Amino acid sequence: MEIKKIGRAGTVESNDISIVIEPSDKKDIEVELQSAVLKQFGRHIKALIIDTLQSKGVKSAYVKAVDKGAIDCVIKARTLTALYRAAESEEYVWEE
Amino acid sequence: MARLRRTMMYVPGNNPANIMGAHLYGADSIMFDLEDSVSIREKDSARFLVYYALKNLDFGNTETVVRINGLDTPFGRKDLEAIVRAKPDVIRIPKTERAKDVLEVESIIAEIEEKAGMEVGTIKLMAAIESPLGVINAFEIAKSSKRLIGIALGAEDFVTSMKTTRSKDGLELLMARSQVLMAARAANIYALDTVFSDINDDEGFIKEVELIKQLGFDGKSVIHPRQIPLVHKVYAPTEKEINHALRVLDAIKEAEEKSSGVIALDGKMIDAPIVERAYRTLELAKASGLYEGDN
Amino acid sequence: MGNITLRTVNLKREKERKKIDEFLHKFELILEKDVEYTLALYDDERIIGTGSVSGNVLKCIAIDPDYQGEGMANKLVSDLMNYQYDRGRTHLFIFTKPMNKRIFEDMGFTEITRLDGVISLLENDPKGLTNFLKKLKKKRQDGRIISSIVMNCNPFTLGHQYLIEYVSNNSDVVHVFVVWEDRSVFPNDVRYRLVKAGIKHLPNVIIHKGKDYIISNSTFPSYFIKEKNSIVKIHAQLDLKIFGEFIAPALGINRRYVGHEPIDPLTREYNAVMKNLLPQYGIEVFEINRLEYRGLAISASRIRQAIKDDNLDSIKEMVPKSTYEFLISEEAKPIIDKIKSL
Repeated sequence: MEIKKIGRAGTVESNDISIVIEPSDKKDIEVELQSAVLKQFGRHIKALIIDTLQSKGVKSAYVKAVDKGAIDCVIKARTLTALYRAAESEEYVWEE
Repeated sequence: MARLRRTMMYVPGNNPANIMGAHLYGADSIMFDLEDSVSIREKDSARFLVYYALKNLDFGNTETVVRINGLDTPFGRKDLEAIVRAKPDVIRIPKTERAKDVLEVESIIAEIEEKAGMEVGTIKLMAAIESPLGVINAFEIAKSSKRLIGIALGAEDFVTSMKTTRSKDGLELLMARSQVLMAARAANIYALDTVFSDINDDEGFIKEVELIKQLGFDGKSVIHPRQIPLVHKVYAPTEKEINHALRVLDAIKEAEEKSSGVIALDGKMIDAPIVERAYRTLELAKASGLYEGDN
Repeated sequence: MGNITLRTVNLKREKERKKIDEFLHKFELILEKDVEYTLALYDDERIIGTGSVSGNVLKCIAIDPDYQGEGMANKLVSDLMNYQYDRGRTHLFIFTKPMNKRIFEDMGFTEITRLDGVISLLENDPKGLTNFLKKLKKKRQDGRIISSIVMNCNPFTLGHQYLIEYVSNNSDVVHVFVVWEDRSVFPNDVRYRLVKAGIKHLPNVIIHKGKDYIISNSTFPSYFIKEKNSIVKIHAQLDLKIFGEFIAPALGINRRYVGHEPIDPLTREYNAVMKNLLPQYGIEVFEINRLEYRGLAISASRIRQAIKDDNLDSIKEMVPKSTYEFLISEEAKPIIDKIKSL
């Protein structure tokens, strides 16, 4: 998917994560993460966001994430919501 | 054994904290809402969130229900595409007015089940009746589909359409409650009562639960965890009821041992509804922690 | 705690406004005039929190102490941010007391700078300032005297033009920042365009959009301090700190010019702070007497008055040709009508 504009999803309420996806002129996905559990889970959260985006064919993006203790499925859901918004697409593909 | 549906707790579909802990309060069913509690601009994010929550989280034995948006909105069809694949136990249809409303949802679900390689018929349905027309057509709705496991009265919109408001004694809902309940009983499905929105008024809430239990409802929709134990307490059977139920069970066993087709207790014949009620009483007793079961 | 609900405040209803304003008073805040969207948190019918939006600034935010630590601020700010993103405003700012900045940092805001114990400015992009300065540096030009002017140009007059020409003649490079703010009658892009047209003949002048990090006094919160004088002072100190610490070094600026302000006490105070503060960053400040017309300094407010009075002849004498042509164009009509209705 191609990122056309800034897309945002999620909130900064507890157990949630706020994800902002922006177009980037770099050739990779860069994640700027803020989290209270950065030391323990920072790498995991970043990898999950990048994996989720790459699974939808995203190669380049700048992601700002503010984590408030979200679990994996929430991170995935918010990342995809932000991505579809950024790509201005409603062609959802649901895994079986 | 038939499932208990004393409490169905509403969970706003776009709130991770509420979704994660939803099954911890002991509700018989939890209903993730994509409809009224989600603002129009967050429909997509709630859909993603509920989808991934259902796919990844373990809600134990709690029945999972998802309330979708109506098919007359731009969101209903999209909700189904996602949610059917996430396999909740039940999908709840809002604002049902005719059998056709159920059948439309049913045929789309069947189509998606087939596309997704699921067994057709996996997902059950529940219909919310929220308008005078829906109440009038309650029986038509109740018997419209094999997937339909229950109907629920939604009173907030209903009273508005009726040009009135809700009162503490609920006189304005008596007719609708009775009709929805009767339709459910005639179609042999569950009947659930509407929400009570003042979460601080325990006394008023308990009174209403006592009323709908007496009318015959299977349970009530709740909007806050603190309402759950209150409902369960009202629905807990008395010692007398439990003892009677156990004696009915003994009578059944006795009849089985004798290979007799006739079940009798204290010289009186016991017919199917009494047997059914005995089972239900014991289920309720188990759920309330008053009876541990034989086995 | 009962039923917590988040509701939109209808700002057109005086009664609702007043309730929010009274709630804010408890926190030494007021519901400022420029807010365009306000939310309130209620516990049943009791207000327990509020927050507002004005342009790309989140402001007038307060939560009842009884409810602090319950995630109420997060709920509120999340919703305000949704409102902003829906309007395409993705770069957001918050002014707050330094003691409260942690709350906002926890929501993903980063401090740009602060005046200790007084005020802290935060933005929602951890790389916002860095990226802004990176872009700014691309416009850097070498020279011995590198001057700067910050102006609103609402609209661009001969007075502005005269000042820029004067500075241009006395510098190697001139950076002109047109202040970006939604509340000027002449929209941002129009003001920018008119400045650009009016300085075309000056090759050593570089024009910038004075966005975000040049703090317009109209977006600056007026609430922290009760006396109006000190608000101006704090605004000036914060704005000039950012200018001196970040913007000037990026461009090598060593001079700042201002037009002499004969009347307006607020501008005079701002300029006084500037003369005091900028030399600390190695920037000399020069105040230049304004160009006059019929014995009075030409100012944008004088042009607006003349528009109101339908005095086209005098306008013609006080603005460059490019500005005049715009003023009599079809495009300017709604602006002219607005000025006349004020």
